[in-house]
Amino acid sequence: MSELDELKDLLFGAEKQALDSIAERVERRDVRAADVADILPEAIHQSYQKDGELVESLTDPIGECLQNAFRDDPETYGDALYPVMGPAIRKSIMHALRGFAQQINEAVEHSISPKGLKWRWQASRAGVPFGEYMLQKSLLFRVEQAYLISRENGLLVGHVHHEASKIKDSDAVSAMFTAIQDFVKESFSPDRTGRLESADMGEFTLWAVHGPHALLVCVIRGVPPRSLRGELSSILERIHFRYGEAIREYKGDTSSVPDVEVELERCLRFEARQEETKNKKGKSAFAVAALVLLLVTAAFFGFRSWNASKQHAALEAALTGVPGLYVSAVERDGRVFSVQGLRDPLAPNVVDVAARVGIAAEDLDVSMQAFQSLAPEMVATRAKRILGPPSGVQFDVSGTALIVEGDAPWAWQQRLLSSYKSIAGIETLDDSGLTAGDRERIIATVKDMNGQQFFFDSGITLVTESDDALAQYAADLGETAQNARRVGFMLAVALNGSTDGIGDAAANQTLARNRAVSVADVFRNNGLDVSDSGRLANDEIASEQTVDANQRYVQVELELIPLPHSP
Amino acid sequence: MTVVTSKVCVVGDFAVGKTSVIERFVNNQFSDKYLTTVGVKVDTKEIEHKALGISHKLVIWDVAGSDRFGHIELAYLRGANGYIFVADGTRLPTLRAARDLYQQITEEYGSAPCVLLVNKNDLTDQWNVRDERMEELTAHFGNTYRTSAKTGDEVETAMTRLSELIVDNDFRNE
Repeated sequence: MSELDELKDLLFGAEKQALDSIAERVERRDVRAADVADILPEAIHQSYQKDGELVESLTDPIGECLQNAFRDDPETYGDALYPVMGPAIRKSIMHALRGFAQQINEAVEHSISPKGLKWRWQASRAGVPFGEYMLQKSLLFRVEQAYLISRENGLLVGHVHHEASKIKDSDAVSAMFTAIQDFVKESFSPDRTGRLESADMGEFTLWAVHGPHALLVCVIRGVPPRSLRGELSSILERIHFRYGEAIREYKGDTSSVPDVEVELERCLRFEARQEETKNKKGKSAFAVAALVLLLVTAAFFGFRSWNASKQHAALEAALTGVPGLYVSAVERDGRVFSVQGLRDPLAPNVVDVAARVGIAAEDLDVSMQAFQSLAPEMVATRAKRILGPPSGVQFDVSGTALIVEGDAPWAWQQRLLSSYKSIAGIETLDDSGLTAGDRERIIATVKDMNGQQFFFDSGITLVTESDDALAQYAADLGETAQNARRVGFMLAVALNGSTDGIGDAAANQTLARNRAVSVADVFRNNGLDVSDSGRLANDEIASEQTVDANQRYVQVELELIPLPHSP
Repeated sequence: MTVVTSKVCVVGDFAVGKTSVIERFVNNQFSDKYLTTVGVKVDTKEIEHKALGISHKLVIWDVAGSDRFGHIELAYLRGANGYIFVADGTRLPTLRAARDLYQQITEEYGSAPCVLLVNKNDLTDQWNVRDERMEELTAHFGNTYRTSAKTGDEVETAMTRLSELIVDNDFRNE
């Protein structure tokens, strides 16, 4: 040891030992490591508490370490992560499937529901694909685009957008928004501290969130909740934390802000419109029931209306073809048919006509005025009603002529002749086809009975056979006389007495007369009014000078004399 | 190819043809109809520098014409990576306006790459700028071009040059 060293020991002994100790700790790697290890946990903790710089600093090296470790020993880390990855993957798949199923449900529901049909029509009118239109209607809000813009120069730092969004030149949009922002600030903020924070454009809302070096502009479809602004602010803060310095110095080189889009992706949030799911089934069932009820009701009333229309037409047709009915109006009020017009009392009843087409009397409101129809059918009917023709007699009307055919009693025909002109619509009578059978029969009977002879034995005593025959003849003749009067004839009876001419002519003359009188008496006893019409046959006999026992008779001469017509 | 983006502002006096120059550059179109620009109009155009492996996207702010900017116009220029000054070769006062604007911008935001386009070169009978004056302007602005938005003369060249200057200034020094 040199004197100098000794002197140092004397003067700085303690300090020198401390310096040596420090030097040893600095020079010796193991000691330094032990010291760092001693304070490292506390240092990390303090650094982390102080700011986020430690995390930022460790992100890349730790990331690289992990990459190397996973690459070198994937099996070990795979095993270690298995308990975490399995549930995470399942959760992710379930989430994706749930979303997919929800989309399918909504698509199906909206495709066939009235609302879906309405949307489809509206989408067609707007020229927008149905899927996109449905999404617009189904979403409460969706962040369509997010622009991260440098506040310094308005350059676009990063931009993300939803797949379905229509994107124009994002750099131009970014610049223009900055220009507008500058314009608003310079124009309307006296101290130039104001900021444009939101703008509305039709269905879109622009929200601008301002950071120290960048502003985050989000294009939002729908109505975003207020809480979204806070979430966007957090994202912007995080971006500033990661890229603050790079953004401040940003001059247009996107490589200086790597993966900034990953952060921006978190802005693309959306929220579906909440349907009232609790009541949805109930409402749906109610809607279906209401729809069914509506359809049934519509079908019922439709059928009833159709049926009523059909009945209406049938009733009009039925009433139009009926003689004696003149229908001026057939109207329907609900189920009741109102019929107005004129009706001949002899025409069919409206109720009866309606019944034939299936309309009940209670569904009719008939208001018909009486009138006398001159339709041929009605004139014929009226003639029948007035004249009361016997069966077998046919009435017809041609123009103003009443045509009567068939066989009718002579007396009825007399009434026909006297009264046909009193029937409205009848001026002439055609009775050429009309016969009077009863009159013909009387004529025939009288013809048969005419010339009957009753023989006498002697004097005024009839032979036995003639006596009986005379009685019967007288009875028949009485009846015939009555019947002849009924058919317009008076029966004239003349009796011609005859003798055989033997003996005194005067006596024979008397005898002949007496014989005629005796027969006449028999006729009178049967109600016949016989005039004195006896003749003497012996005039001829005498003149012929013949004597014939067969000439002892009385011969009946009958004649029908028409009675004058009744006026 | 790396894509980089820069903000470029087009400035100049009224009716010097700023919008027409940009329309020619961006869409290769020209219209004789004069439409004044209100506020600012933004267009974009990419220029490829294959040798550098860079595709340079210019976000062009076509600022309403003025011989002196107010607060709003100056706000539009903030952060610009380059400028296109435009003057009318048939109207000498517009050259003065370009110089004044250059000075105003430099004072406000500092210097940045720029080019001067003395426009309406197609109006030869009305052309008022002598060659000496052009040299003087080149000395001041660095890059000066006699352009015609109507014929397209020198427009592409000027824009490409500005792009090169910006790339050189902002992206090659890093």
